[in-house]
Amino acid sequence: MMSLNRIALNVIFCIQILLVFLLIAGDRIVLPAWLQVAGRLHPLVLHLPIGFLIFLAVIHLFPKHVDKDSLQRLIHIGLVITSLFASIAALFGFFLSLQGEYGTDALMRHRTAGVLLSWFCYALLLLHRVDEKQRFFYGFGALTLVTLIVAGHTGAVLTHGQNFVLAPILANKELTVENASVYEFAVQPILDRKCFSCHNEVKAKGGLVMTSIDKFKEGGKHGKPWVEGKPQESRMIKAFYLPLSHDEHMPPDGRPQLTPVEISTIEAWIKSGADFEKKLNQFADGDSLKFIVASFAASKSDAPVEEKTYSFSAASGDVVEKLNTPYRSVFPLFKDSPALQADFFLKGSFQVEFLRELNSISQQLVVLNLSKMPVEDKELEFIATFTNLENLNLNFTRIEGTGLRTLEPLANLQTLSLAGTSVKAGDIEPLLSLPRLREVYVWNTQIAEAEREALSKKYPDVTITGNLFSDSETLKLGKPRLENDGVIRKGELISLKHSMPGVVIRLSKDKTDPDSIKSDVYDKPFPATESMVLKAKACKDGWFCSDVLKATCFVEGIAPVNVELQSKADVQYPGKGAEGLTDMQKGFADILKEPSWLGYREGPFSTNFDFGKSISLKSIVISHAENIGGFVFPPQEVEIWAGDNVREMKMLKQLKPVQPTGYTPNGVEALPIPLDSGGSYRYYRVVARPLAKLPTWHNSKGERGWLFVDEVFFY
Amino acid sequence: MENEFLKNRFHITRRHFLGKLSLGLGSVALGSLLIPDLLKSEYDDVPQISGLPHFAPKAKRIIYLFQNGAPSQLESFDYKPLLNKMTGEELPASIRMGQRLTGMTSGQAKFPLVGSYFGFKQYGQSGAWVSELFPHTAKIVDELCFIKTMHTEAINHDPALTFMQSGAQQGNRPSMGAWLSYGLGSENKNLPAFCVLLSRGRGNGQGVYSKLWTNGFLDSVHQGVQFSSSEERVLYLQDPSGRDRESTRKMLDNLAQLNSLNYKEFGDPEIEAKVQQYEMAYRMQTAVPELSDLSHEPDHIIKMYGADCLSPGTYASNCLLARKLSESGVRFVQLYHQGWDQHDNMVGDMPLQAQDVDRATAALVLDLKQRGLLEETLVIWGGEFGRTNYCQGDLKKKNYGRDHHPRNYTIWMAGGGVRPGIVYGETDDFGYNIVRNPVHVNDFHATVLHLMGLNHEQLTFKHLGRRYRLTDVAGKVIHDLLA
Repeated sequence: MMSLNRIALNVIFCIQILLVFLLIAGDRIVLPAWLQVAGRLHPLVLHLPIGFLIFLAVIHLFPKHVDKDSLQRLIHIGLVITSLFASIAALFGFFLSLQGEYGTDALMRHRTAGVLLSWFCYALLLLHRVDEKQRFFYGFGALTLVTLIVAGHTGAVLTHGQNFVLAPILANKELTVENASVYEFAVQPILDRKCFSCHNEVKAKGGLVMTSIDKFKEGGKHGKPWVEGKPQESRMIKAFYLPLSHDEHMPPDGRPQLTPVEISTIEAWIKSGADFEKKLNQFADGDSLKFIVASFAASKSDAPVEEKTYSFSAASGDVVEKLNTPYRSVFPLFKDSPALQADFFLKGSFQVEFLRELNSISQQLVVLNLSKMPVEDKELEFIATFTNLENLNLNFTRIEGTGLRTLEPLANLQTLSLAGTSVKAGDIEPLLSLPRLREVYVWNTQIAEAEREALSKKYPDVTITGNLFSDSETLKLGKPRLENDGVIRKGELISLKHSMPGVVIRLSKDKTDPDSIKSDVYDKPFPATESMVLKAKACKDGWFCSDVLKATCFVEGIAPVNVELQSKADVQYPGKGAEGLTDMQKGFADILKEPSWLGYREGPFSTNFDFGKSISLKSIVISHAENIGGFVFPPQEVEIWAGDNVREMKMLKQLKPVQPTGYTPNGVEALPIPLDSGGSYRYYRVVARPLAKLPTWHNSKGERGWLFVDEVFFY
Repeated sequence: MENEFLKNRFHITRRHFLGKLSLGLGSVALGSLLIPDLLKSEYDDVPQISGLPHFAPKAKRIIYLFQNGAPSQLESFDYKPLLNKMTGEELPASIRMGQRLTGMTSGQAKFPLVGSYFGFKQYGQSGAWVSELFPHTAKIVDELCFIKTMHTEAINHDPALTFMQSGAQQGNRPSMGAWLSYGLGSENKNLPAFCVLLSRGRGNGQGVYSKLWTNGFLDSVHQGVQFSSSEERVLYLQDPSGRDRESTRKMLDNLAQLNSLNYKEFGDPEIEAKVQQYEMAYRMQTAVPELSDLSHEPDHIIKMYGADCLSPGTYASNCLLARKLSESGVRFVQLYHQGWDQHDNMVGDMPLQAQDVDRATAALVLDLKQRGLLEETLVIWGGEFGRTNYCQGDLKKKNYGRDHHPRNYTIWMAGGGVRPGIVYGETDDFGYNIVRNPVHVNDFHATVLHLMGLNHEQLTFKHLGRRYRLTDVAGKVIHDLLA
């Protein structure tokens, strides 16, 4: 007997220490499965200490029936048993709490009370042995009983919920949008959470009582908290928006603050007149309060759906792995989820077999995306075997709709996408009564807008989305595109393109804007003999003609044998030096740092071109950049010199190019210089001076301009 | 006598003490068996990158419409009528609070406030304010979630852009798309998980460079693949003349054998990455032409995005291509549209920029929605910081400019589990400081990862002796933004 007693005492001691340790270790603990079973025994074991402890209390009511000595022995044995089971219950309870199926606050309270009870029982047992006179024993016993009640109650709240016992008499009807006013449904719960704790009949901070509607309307010592229809002027709203550090900010710093959605709800309520009676359906359709409340009435109803769990088991990793090919991806929706998604790619390689192979995961397949695959109606029967399918994407498949009826067994289907197929209204109707179907997409199908509306009305639970875009506006076409790249070589044809089917391209080669009726129609690529400015635009019925494409075509000319710079380019923009001027590499007007460009600012561009023998030129074209924002202008003045000896050249031509008169888009421009002298020379020199002063309309008027040259052509 | 008994009870011998102690220690030891990683450091385990979301994702793909150069929030979505009333008056010191300015305006003697030249109206049931420059965006405000209180740490383009893309101001960390490719892998094995499309508008522009879509220290398969602005969106995909697909296949097979020999010898993971890239390029030869084929786009889709969508390299064509890539399972499509840096000529530049993006952006959102894809695709629109409420340079009668302003700016998100039809956060009446609900770039990243089913604290990579995250050591998920 005594050894049993000692074993029991030591076991109790061990469990107490273990409990302390577990409390400290907290959530770092991972329970093996067999201990989870022990945890689940907690609701069974916990009744034993309750019974024993109450028995020990009750037995004192019968002092005459038990002699004193026996009573003490009985109490001792009773306490050992109580304490032992209290410890075990606490330990098991701790294991159960780690399986995490309960709300944390209530759980924490119960856990604390349970562990305390286990310690108190042990302490009571020790006290009984030590405190011979039992001066503290009965007081401590009473405390233990109170703890028992607390632990028992908090535990019951966990299993049965709040107010389980009194619920039948308290019977509070649940507020819904239908039965409650918007104030009761949407506004009061916010005030309850964030304001009532200080502004109630008992506390009434600032004299304001919000719990009763009448007193709320009266307001506090500063008067009424709102001005109907004017949230900006309402005291309450101002208090929400004041900086947190401000004394008048409500709720005060340190208290739970209102969320933006809560504030906008109250604002909208005041804006629509701060009415306490009106129900949601009495508000006008465009009212923002209605919009806000309706949205969270919806979110309220589906709030508990947190993480979806599935009852079926996962497919083996091998099976899933094997199903993955370049044409088909199969993967779980997320880590450790048994639910699978299958996507198909590369319509050109699709084979019906690829779809059929999914039968090994017919249980687990939840999302199936066959978008753009050449799937036909006859496959739908097979798809209907995926009993857990929730999301089926058949956009732009070859489905015609006749087979849709076979999808009726898909009781879990929630989303069905049929955009871009040729389904008809009659085809989808049988599916619209599927129990869980919520979204159907029928844009770009045979279903007319009126049919879609009729179906939406008939099946209000399903959102049927059709064409969302309507615009009667006439739009402008995009510009045609010049297909040639860089310098046009001898014999190369100039080619224009436009991606819109059915457009007519009109063009002009004389710098005038093309006319949509009179100008030449571009029908085939054409040759170019000299650098020219090409203008083209595209037109089509039902569209406005495009903006004019302006392209400067540079055509390959006579190549000099040697080029020599007479003046150095700016150190920042040396380009490729002399050879860059005849290498047929064009630059972009936006990127002047690239090696195609030679930049000049302080001095003129001056270069000698040696043709090896005397030749006669008709014209010279300087290719230069225009980037007005970047101070890059055409040259202020150009001179052409020529001669058979570098030291003895004469000026053939002098010219002042036309300067832009305002900001223009950046571009590479051709500056043609016609030579009418007819003479024949070996050397030609091109001198071009940068603009000395930017014009008055420029943001940086008066500053020195830049000249950028990438090529010079000779014809 | 009683006390003697009592003393005896408390009198604990050494043997007794040690006996009890061993029992106690035994209990602790027993308990410690339940903690599997008791003696390990908290971070010792290399997290298993499974290529799957940590929890059920709301969004499966992202299209990020990056407005490069920082569009002005004051001319787009953050309506501040007070600035119109006070135009020309000095920015009060109590509002500026001595906060830093860029070198471009720090020398300015005056900081005259300037209101938006463009009118604002409220739209949709949510009543969001939108400027007249964005008429098409205005039509879809009930799909959008505006965040008016984004704020960043950088004040100049390059660091701010890099911060927005990679969570660090220096360009050595993986970009957002690379992190997602690393965390979630590719849905479609025939296309890269991370694609980049560039376009430039007509306004004053700032550069973009490949460091913005870098894989940083991650495996180079996660690098963003930049698509060309020419008609051939991916260059050199066509078979060279004189060689057919089959001989390419043979060549790749043999090359892979040689590479695997090399890999066995050197063990460099980049060799494996390279083999994978070759294989993907081979499959892209089929996948990409399917994408750039516009012949199946109905006429009204072209009208919806605007005629520009047929000209490769425009923002509109990139939006259309982004939709097609996303529809084909590309995890992260990153657009950059340049030209939003309105230091001057706000009145001239801003309408052109808005015109370029407004129609196609709204079209993209609607197009995704009508295909049933908006629910699983997160669309993000915004720049790297905001613009000042005061004028940079001279305040002219009909024109003005705005400098960089990192303290608040507006972006919007749509679809992919974001709460539609809300305006989150509040800035002061001067549009200079955040009053309520700030969203830091790190918070934004944490929220985006959360929407994709990833815990931003668990998506890590060990590099140079420590673990890195997209959010590094900060960031919290903004739950108010979630549907």
